[in-house]
Amino acid sequence: MSDEKTVAAPRSLAEALRGRDDASLAALLRSRPDLITPVPTDLTQLATRAGTRASVVRALERLDRFALQTAEALAVAGDPATYGELLGLTAGDARDPVVAAALPRALATLREQALVWGGDDRLRLVRTARELLAPSPQHPSPTGLGPTVREATSGMSPGRIQEIVTTAGLPSTHDPVSAVDALTALFTDRARMAELLAGAPADSLDVLGRLVWGPPYGQVAPDPAPRLRWLLDRGLLLPTAPGTVVLPREVALHLREGRAHRAPEPVPPAVEPAATHRPQVVDATAAGQAYTALATVEELLKDWDEGGPSVLRAGGLSVRDLKRTAVALDVSEPVAAFWVELAYAAGLLASDGEADERYAATPAYDEWLERPPAERWARLAEAWLTATRTPGLVGGRDAKDRALSALGPGLDRSAAPEVRHRVLTLLAGLPEGGAPSAGSVLARLRWERPLRGPQRTPDEEDPRGRLARWTLSEAELLGVTGRGALSAHGRALLGPRPSATAAAAPGAGAKARSRTSAALTGPEGAGDKLPVHKHHRPAEAPLPETGPRSQPQSQLQPDVQPAPLSPSEQAVASAAAARLLAPLLPEPLDHVLLQADLTAVAPGPLRRPLADTLGVLADVESKGGATVYRFTPGSVRRALDAGHTASDLHAFLAAHSRTPVPQPLAYLIDDVARRHGHLRVGAASAYVRCDDDALLNEILADKRSAGLRLRRLAPTVLATQADPATLLEGLRAMGYAPAAESAEGDVLIARADSHRTPPRTAPEPVPEGPPVPDATLLAAAIRAIRAGDLASTAPRKPAAAQSAAGELPRTGPAETLATMQAAVLTGEALWIGYVNAEGAASQRVIAPIRVEGGFVTAYDHTADEVRTYPLHRVTGVAELADDQG
Amino acid sequence: MNGPLIVQSDKTLLLEVDHEQADDCRRVIAPFAELERAPEHIHTYRVTPLGLWNARAAGHDAEQVVDALVQYSRYPVPHALLVDIAETMDRYGRLTLTKHPAHGLVLTTTDRPVLEEVLKSKRIIPLVGARIDPDTVAVHPSERGQIKQTLLKLGWPAEDLAGYVDGEAHPIELAEDGWALRPYQKQAVENFWHGGSGVVVLPCGAGKTLVGAGSMAQAKSTTLILVTNTVSARQWKHELVKRTSLTEDEIGEYSGTRKEIRPVTIATYQVLTTRRKGVYPHLELFDSRDWGLIVYDEVHLLPAPVFKFTADLQARRRLGLTATLVREDGRESDVFSLIGPKRFDAPWKEIEAQGYIAPADCVEVRVNLTDSERLAYATAETEEKYRFCATTETKRKVTEAIVRRFAGQQILVIGQYIDQLDELGEHLNAPVIKGETSNAQREKLFDAFREGEINVLVVSKVANFSIDLPEATVAIQVSGTFGSRQEEAQRLGRVLRPKADGHQAHFYSVVARDTIDQDFAAHRQRFLAEQGYAYRIMDADELLAEDA
Repeated sequence: MSDEKTVAAPRSLAEALRGRDDASLAALLRSRPDLITPVPTDLTQLATRAGTRASVVRALERLDRFALQTAEALAVAGDPATYGELLGLTAGDARDPVVAAALPRALATLREQALVWGGDDRLRLVRTARELLAPSPQHPSPTGLGPTVREATSGMSPGRIQEIVTTAGLPSTHDPVSAVDALTALFTDRARMAELLAGAPADSLDVLGRLVWGPPYGQVAPDPAPRLRWLLDRGLLLPTAPGTVVLPREVALHLREGRAHRAPEPVPPAVEPAATHRPQVVDATAAGQAYTALATVEELLKDWDEGGPSVLRAGGLSVRDLKRTAVALDVSEPVAAFWVELAYAAGLLASDGEADERYAATPAYDEWLERPPAERWARLAEAWLTATRTPGLVGGRDAKDRALSALGPGLDRSAAPEVRHRVLTLLAGLPEGGAPSAGSVLARLRWERPLRGPQRTPDEEDPRGRLARWTLSEAELLGVTGRGALSAHGRALLGPRPSATAAAAPGAGAKARSRTSAALTGPEGAGDKLPVHKHHRPAEAPLPETGPRSQPQSQLQPDVQPAPLSPSEQAVASAAAARLLAPLLPEPLDHVLLQADLTAVAPGPLRRPLADTLGVLADVESKGGATVYRFTPGSVRRALDAGHTASDLHAFLAAHSRTPVPQPLAYLIDDVARRHGHLRVGAASAYVRCDDDALLNEILADKRSAGLRLRRLAPTVLATQADPATLLEGLRAMGYAPAAESAEGDVLIARADSHRTPPRTAPEPVPEGPPVPDATLLAAAIRAIRAGDLASTAPRKPAAAQSAAGELPRTGPAETLATMQAAVLTGEALWIGYVNAEGAASQRVIAPIRVEGGFVTAYDHTADEVRTYPLHRVTGVAELADDQG
Repeated sequence: MNGPLIVQSDKTLLLEVDHEQADDCRRVIAPFAELERAPEHIHTYRVTPLGLWNARAAGHDAEQVVDALVQYSRYPVPHALLVDIAETMDRYGRLTLTKHPAHGLVLTTTDRPVLEEVLKSKRIIPLVGARIDPDTVAVHPSERGQIKQTLLKLGWPAEDLAGYVDGEAHPIELAEDGWALRPYQKQAVENFWHGGSGVVVLPCGAGKTLVGAGSMAQAKSTTLILVTNTVSARQWKHELVKRTSLTEDEIGEYSGTRKEIRPVTIATYQVLTTRRKGVYPHLELFDSRDWGLIVYDEVHLLPAPVFKFTADLQARRRLGLTATLVREDGRESDVFSLIGPKRFDAPWKEIEAQGYIAPADCVEVRVNLTDSERLAYATAETEEKYRFCATTETKRKVTEAIVRRFAGQQILVIGQYIDQLDELGEHLNAPVIKGETSNAQREKLFDAFREGEINVLVVSKVANFSIDLPEATVAIQVSGTFGSRQEEAQRLGRVLRPKADGHQAHFYSVVARDTIDQDFAAHRQRFLAEQGYAYRIMDADELLAEDA
């Protein structure tokens, strides 16, 4: 910025940009990437684009709270404003040193973002930003300030203004302009103003006190009370409309001691540790949870192994399937949704794409299973960190009131990876083992990216806040954090830290500030419009000075927010995290404790083959650090069904039990095995029955019967897979005389079967030519034709009437847009051709005010009011001839 | 990180008993965790809101609980679980019941929204009176128990600081001549007295009556004792006369036959719950004296109407005694909220290890139904099935074989079905005690059995409770009340009184294989299996072959 002083002061944003070096332009484009899509041809175009409403709104939304407050202050300052003026508005007459120290950084941010240009003596806020931030009756500013005296008196009669001037104790002047100037000068002069107010009745001051922090508008009766009359007579309140008065900006600023904001927030609220645990405890807890995460994902996919739930037609998992999964995993539904989404994000499960679409594990899952546990975790954690899918939304409804289902569409939130990364970075900024309260993290995030506009209520949580809250709970579930503090492996996930102080400094520095700011805002706490202070105020009182402290100056450095890592960097970071985690994961055991109450306790995680077999042989009763299994006749039968024999099971239990197998358990296995397979079930489609064993022996021995695949079930019964007709034929061919039997055992009289098709409908007649249209279709067609007819004929009459004034201007859409935007900047009026919704064309002279979102808002000279026109209906524009301007 | 405790996600705690720190750990977690299962290697405790609140009531705070878990846990304890524990414990004490000098019993709060929340509940509205100030509301004194119970169900347990009435004083001393309270009995009395009211859980045969007597000696006031039946009432009286300074005249019996009200009165549940014309005529008993202590024997059998009366008696000290606080109706929590939290609990095996109850050999004998019985069983109506399989012919043979094996020892044969018992009595040549047997006859037979004049006694479920048969060493159960766990435990209790020569007791349960009898038996045995009693399972053929 310093070099700007040497060159001549720029006269426009384009010129200011022209004066910036490449690095500073690169910084602008990096923070506002929308400016280079597509790449502008020159700096003028860049400046124009940077001034468009959509782009400015986007840039403002990405400012931190203090930069935004600075911009808001500039919007209520003069245009251009000096640095001193701005300092007065932010730091107040008392020149709050903390604010004064933070202001250069905020201003630098605004300059970098091309929202402010000009040197310190002529600071200019980009016009669109000014319009967005300046207070107006429709859009009250967060500053709570009203219009200036000049704006508020613009419609007032000169005589009334002179009366006010006189009552205020000023000499009368010749014209309203100088009168207003004199009044403004009085209001901005602290000493004279104090004198004036000293003479005010106490209840009048109360009125001012009510309006001072906004909203600045008040209602008055047609015949105002004396205390109001006193104020109105001196211009301390000015009427805006019948029955409404406003507190002029200058008066409010005097009463506020110059401050534009009740509570300037120059430094970010600190993220304070609510509790500090030993780092070992944190790491161990997180590792335990990481192990649980692996076990849960495995359990989930094992549960879905033989055909998972089907995919809803709109995509996603049905509520019932989610419920069932939640029960199977023994977790709540939102948590189940998290695990399902996590497995999906990690590529471990997907839809199988069959006609009857179901979810199933992917081949990647089998590979994943083969990897060591720490790597498996790293893969999940990486997938979580970078995913835009947000499981927290599951169960909610989208803008169209459709239910959002797990694995379904509509769950992507592009801000999610950035918020997750930011939250973890904030945690990483705390001393090791420090667990912050969710409130302080959210307060910090809100400071960094405040919601613009006055609709800030404490209950309504902004989307980023929700994402952050989910991040905190998901990080705990996944074992990235333990006891709410970031674990060592979680820290490693973020990659190598850019600098030791970058993240810690704002936190540490803010402590000093928060005391001053509390003193500053303390007495007004009840009416505090910025809830952020409340969040951390209780926490700040008994703070021991912990953690690395840096010089207070360091907080003024632009806050370095490390961006999420690139994929390759992330892979390196994940590998590092896996290495840290590996030694903390519990070693799988190869034994269980068997007890006489028919339970088995695995006092830790089990080796996989052991866990698999035990999972079949017994039912899981409780999970956690250990697993409790219960043997029941049903579970033992399941193991036998799976192909184990009783002696296998005895050997298995004896091999893996540390203690002798209890007698009741051994007995249970034998008892179930004794009955297992006692009854046999099979499928046969025909049988041969004969009381004479010898005959059946004979048939079986006959080579010709081989094709019939006969099997002896009992001495007098043969069964076959062949159908009865084939069997009959075969036996007859062998020279026997079999008789067919019905289901009830009666002899069936052989008769040729009548062959039938499955149910069929009769063929539809095929008439020649297209079918005759029905009445509905005809009516609709006629309506459409008539409408088209009207559209083509209607505009002709008005067009003919106006044709005397000349043809409609015709320009291409690009040219139309460019001319409009230029006119907005220059404030010139344009001549346009316009076709209304009914198709009627007209010509109008308009002065464009702003162009955004495909609409131009303009003062229409033809209609003498402000109107909004869709750009696509503007046939063309032409600049007005000079004589018209 | 190598502690004896494993914390499970369903809030059960697994304690490895062979671990060197197991005893320390057990002591630390006992105040807030309920012992659920105590088999040989790993004991299971459960952390419930009720347990946590009882711990708060006993002066423990969340930090101690969390510390205990973290200190002894083998694996890191999930953060969510710790948070949950802290939050649950934090709910206790937001509401307190106190005596207000002007308004009587009042419910006050330290957290106004909680009071607002509970006062909105339909179940609370009829129990409270006028709002005295924003944080205080009057409570009808008679609803003290009801409101505590309801608040507990709403999840905002009230701390009861309204205290107890002393009752009418009456001198009672323990007559410790040649005997003394056992250490655990002393501990139980102490815990109860310190806590004010509550339940003491001791295994059968571990001397619950003496805990009652000890508590009476502490209270030194008039006492109302509620027992299950008349025989049990006589035994209480006998025991009290023997063990305390009380004389026969000071102890009254209030039963179907006698209606005496004395400084110490023993009443049966049955007489209290007798209803005539829709009213309970004997309820006045509760108000007939200024009782200082009310003892509930076999509290797991407390009939529903008595719950209701008990709710009105919250200002008096209450002692519940039981061996098995498992109620098949699931009303354990009502017992805890109306009588009081569990003040003492000793695992059966621990008392056995101390030698106060006899070690027992539990055997389940599986008999096969004969082919014709199997067919009959398969075609029987559902409600008849259990009777069919439970009374199979083979059971008789097995019972005879067992009786032969233990010839000369004192043997009880216990069953459910009178026909079966009559038949057994006939074959074993033993007297049968059943519902229709008169009290005089019962006592005569019991005495004869005690004296060893009779070796074998066949009893129906009338003798389930509180009959004192010191020298029974073998019990054979041929059928039971379906899957009742506490009945099984009570029946085992019949043989657990320590034997003079210290030898083992035997408990045989004869079960028909592959029938619902077997399923019921598995359910019945669960409580004892969880207490560490391992059932051996034998085939009837094996037993008969050994016998031959």
